[in-house]
Formats: sequence, structure tokens, C-alpha cells
Amino acid sequence: MEKAAKKKTTKRSLSAAAIMKAYKKHLLTEGSQPASVFVFMEQLNEEEEEFYKYFSSFEAIDAELWKSFAERTIKAIKTDKAYDGYGAREKMLAFLFTLVEVLRKDRSYVKLTFKRPDKPELVPAWLKDFKKAFDNFSMEVIEEGIGSEEIIKRPILSERYHDGLWLQILFIISFWLRDTSKGFERTDAAIEKSANLSFELMGRGPLDLLFDFGKFLYQNK
Amino acid sequence: MKGEQTSIPTSKVQRATRFLKTGAKVGGNYIKHYSKKMFDAELSRDQLDNDNAEDIYDSLSELKGSALKVAQMLSMDKNVLPTAYQDKFAMSQYSAPPLSYPLVVQTFRKYLGKSPEDLFDTFTKEAVNAASIGQVHKATRDGKTLAVKIQYPGVADSISSDLKIVRPIAARMFKISTAELEQYIGEVESKLIEETDYSLELKRSMEITGLCGHLEGIEFPTYYPELSSDRILVMDWINGLHIKEWLATNPSQEQKNEIGQRLWDFYDFQIHTLKQVHADPHPGNFMITDSGKLGIIDFGCVKEIPEDFYEQYFKLMKDDVLNPDYNLKDLFFELGFLSDKDTEKEKAFYLDIFTEMIELLGRPFRSKTFDFGDDTYFKQIFEVGDRVSKMKEIRNSKTARGNRHGLYINRTYFGLYNLLNELKAKVITSH
Repeated sequence: MEKAAKKKTTKRSLSAAAIMKAYKKHLLTEGSQPASVFVFMEQLNEEEEEFYKYFSSFEAIDAELWKSFAERTIKAIKTDKAYDGYGAREKMLAFLFTLVEVLRKDRSYVKLTFKRPDKPELVPAWLKDFKKAFDNFSMEVIEEGIGSEEIIKRPILSERYHDGLWLQILFIISFWLRDTSKGFERTDAAIEKSANLSFELMGRGPLDLLFDFGKFLYQNK
Repeated sequence: MKGEQTSIPTSKVQRATRFLKTGAKVGGNYIKHYSKKMFDAELSRDQLDNDNAEDIYDSLSELKGSALKVAQMLSMDKNVLPTAYQDKFAMSQYSAPPLSYPLVVQTFRKYLGKSPEDLFDTFTKEAVNAASIGQVHKATRDGKTLAVKIQYPGVADSISSDLKIVRPIAARMFKISTAELEQYIGEVESKLIEETDYSLELKRSMEITGLCGHLEGIEFPTYYPELSSDRILVMDWINGLHIKEWLATNPSQEQKNEIGQRLWDFYDFQIHTLKQVHADPHPGNFMITDSGKLGIIDFGCVKEIPEDFYEQYFKLMKDDVLNPDYNLKDLFFELGFLSDKDTEKEKAFYLDIFTEMIELLGRPFRSKTFDFGDDTYFKQIFEVGDRVSKMKEIRNSKTARGNRHGLYINRTYFGLYNLLNELKAKVITSH
């Protein structure tokens, strides 16, 4: 009885992590996805149904891998001693710098899977979980920025701030993939400059003053 | 975030428009000048130069990296610039917009694998000082106060494209002929690229400060190779006052002479014995420490002096070159001051000018002591520089005169003379 139970557990050794690893390896060495889940599992000497215990499709594995990039990044920055002292802008910068570091370990994989969506409003399935994790993070940062008045709350627009930051992160990833400079230094500069710009736009600017002045004139005419 | 510049002109296009704006404004100032002059004949050129310097300074101060460095270089060569520019440019040597702290952390992670918090006991989040291609943070570790210099990312990449932009505008702004500028910029470019390599700077700093260690009354920081990398340089923090600040404390003439003498000896030893020289004698690189020593930092720009150039160049400073029977002409040919392509008339013209300049600039070398506080001497230098730069023959000259290696040596001496003039120091120049 005991022996049988033990046998069962060794049979179940193929974990989600192992499947993900095997899939990534296949993708990187072959340059494309396996022809089917069946073929893929046969190569691992496993039944096809084992696969569906964890994932519904290869895209689901991609989604999981991308989500892990975001999670690892957030975990890394939150353990940094300096992080708590940062303002909203610095928190976003820290996220972006660290994300690029995290992605660097898997650059080939990122290069194979990352395609900038043709229409920015459509998020491909494999990127959805990553986006969700990032959105949570950026909304938290925006909230905090509004609290500290680093970011200005504007009607309608402030609901969409995180969408802008999402476009920014897509830009940075594709910039990094095209970056040929030593140690990806140019990406560092791109991050610094684009984040400064977006926080400048979210902060109080001349347009707010113009709008305020216009409203004043209208009310006092 | 306060105090950090938030919009940095970034791309080449933006930098270019920044420069064009300056060009347009300088042009505008001239128009303003001439229209004012129609009513007020008394308006001096100084006023005009002031307006221009301000506009140029305003534009350049928003740039960092190599453009700022070029501004620094031009501000050093006082005889290229009218007096009004100088103070403005000297300021550019002290201030540039800082980098965000996360980028500092990122740079540390990338090059040393650790955060500043892990490496140091304390580390300032904001830069305490700006170098032209990086910024300086103050840190402590094991009870020592350290200066940590961090380079802006992508500086090395942007040098060539920056200089392409600077070239035509500098030619017009500073009235340098294209041929001369080419030679100038080629040498500057290679030196600037060297300056972005902090590992090289570390090696040189340690080497030169080691070899100069026996010089009296001079203090060098200790360098920390284990905390440094291509983009990060860590050294001791030197406490003290910049020369201007020190002078404001009213030191005695003896003290000023002493500091001046140390400065002179430091350069004398490097040039004649080491044959490599700290070629960046701008005021920001020198401190007077609390104990009255002369602190010297920043060996980013070091010029190695080739042996044959050394021989020729210092012949010019000897006593006998001014004797009427000395064959100066051949020496000028060797140094490239004269060229085979020159007509007889040109040869005679240049021979006159260069002889005059050599007499003037070599004067400190031909006497035992020299009083650098003598303003009439400096006025004379500016007067000659100004007159020469206005000569039709020179402005239209297509031939670059002089030697590539001379650029940094001349720059070093100009810088040194100016520092000594500022100190009003009387120095023993030949031992």
C-alpha cells in the first residue's frame, strides 16, 4: 500500500515548473512552438492530459512566464532598502530599471515572444497577466503620487494615466530589444527620459494653469 | 525632486534645435547691438559680449555630456573667448542637472552587482556636485568620507554625434577657422572618449598620484579600485575650499605664493619628468584643504607628451630663441607653424606673429621668478590674442597652424597661467 502511494508521487513528478522549463527550452532551441501539445508531451514521455492539469495552451505558459517577470521585478524592488523612501517617479523608474534587468536573463525568450500589439488597446492573451500585475503596481504608484501631489488629479484623464504608463512600458521593452549599445546603456537613458516626461505630463503643467485661467475668465465675464 | 532638472534635452534633434536657437539669438544680439549703437555710440563691445555669453551659457547649461565639455574647453582658452564669456562658462564647470537616484542604483547594480546601500554605510540620494559627464555623490564607509563619481549612461555613445553638432556652430560662434577646428575637435574627441573610461582614469590617477606623492604640500585622494568600474569611480573626499572661495578668506601674499608655487611645481614635474600631464587645470579640480595643502582631483584628462614633440616645443621656451641670429624659421617648420605651401609674404607675416607670441607666452620661462599677479602681462596676452584673431590673413587662412599635441599642452599652460593670475602668485619658475 505504502509502496503504491510512493510510486504515484514519483509519477506525478512533472510539475508546472518543469513543463514551463521544457517549453521554454523547446522554443529557444527550435525557434518556434511545438507543433502540438501532443507532440510536446510525447517528447517528455508523458500523457497529453498531464499538460492540461496546469495549462490550457502554450499561450497560457507564455502568459505565466511573462507574469513571473512582473512579479519578480516587483518583489526585487520592494526588498530594496531605498524603495520606501522613493517618490512616485522614482518608484516607477526603479520598476523599469529592474524589469529590464529581469528580462535580460531571458532576452532570447523575450525577443521571440514579444511583439508590440498592432493596436495598443488590444492586449494579446500572453501579455494579459503581465499587464494586470503592472497595472496594479502603476495604479498604486499613481495613487501615491496623487496623495503627495506629484501627480495631479484631472477629470476623466486621471482614470487613464495607467494606460499611458502601459504604452510607455511597451515602448521601453521594444526599445531595449532594438538597443545595440554596450550594456544596454541607451535603454537606461531612454527609461530615465521617458519616465521623466510622463511624470512631468501627469504633474501640474502650464495646461492646468491655462485651463484654470480660462475657467476663471468664463466665470467672471 | 526639487532642484533636479526635469526636462533634459535628449535626442540629437532636440540638441540641434537648442544650438540653433543659440545661433539665432546670438545673431539677434548683434542686431540689437547695431540698432542700439545707432542711437548710443558709446555702447561698448563688452555689453554685446555679455549678452551673447549669457545666451550661449543658458543653452549650453541645459546640455550635458560632451557639449558641456566643449563649453568648458572653450572657457579655458581665454584667448579664444572675449572676457565677458569667461565667468559664465566657468560656472558651467560647477553645475549640470543630476540623474535620478534609481538610475544611480541601476548603474551600481549593473557594474558592481550591488546597491550603494550595500556597499557604503551612508550614501547621499542627491548628487552633491556635477562633473561634466557624470555626478558626484558623497558616501561614508568604515569611517571614511568618500566621493563617488557616477557617469551618465550613454555619454560615450553620444560624443561623436554631439561634436558633429558643435562643429559648425562653434566655428561661427568662436570665430575659429574650419581647418583649425577640425584639428582641435579631432584631438578633443579622442580625449573625451578617453575621459568616459573610468577604469583608465583610475589607473592613471593611481599612477600619477603615486609618482607625484613626494611633492610637498600637495594632497591627492586615495582611490578605491575594488569599488570602481568603467562607470563608477570612488576616491577620498577632499575637504577644502575652491580657489575663489579661498581667496575670499583673504589669505596673505605669502600663502598665495606658496599655493602658486606648489601648483607650478606640480605641473613642472609632470611635464618635464613624467612627460604626462593632468591637462584639465580648471578651478574646479583644485582645493585648498583645511591644513593649507593643495588638493588635486580628477585625472580624467591626461595628455601624454611624445618625446620628439617635447624637444621641439620646449626649445621655444629657451632663452636663446629670441636672439636675432637664432634660426627660428626651421623650428617653426618642424612644429607646423609654417608650411611649405606658404608664400614668402605669408612666411614673413607668420614668422613675425609667432615670434611675438613666443616672446610673450614664454616670458615666465625666461626669468627666475615671475609675478603672475601682473595684470598688464595678461592684458597684453589678450590684446595680442584679440589682435591676431581679427587679422584678415589669419581668419581667412585655410591652413591649420600648430601641432595636434600642442592643443592640450597650450591648454594646460593657459589654465595654469590663469589659475596663477587668479591667485596673484609670484612663482619661482626655473630651478
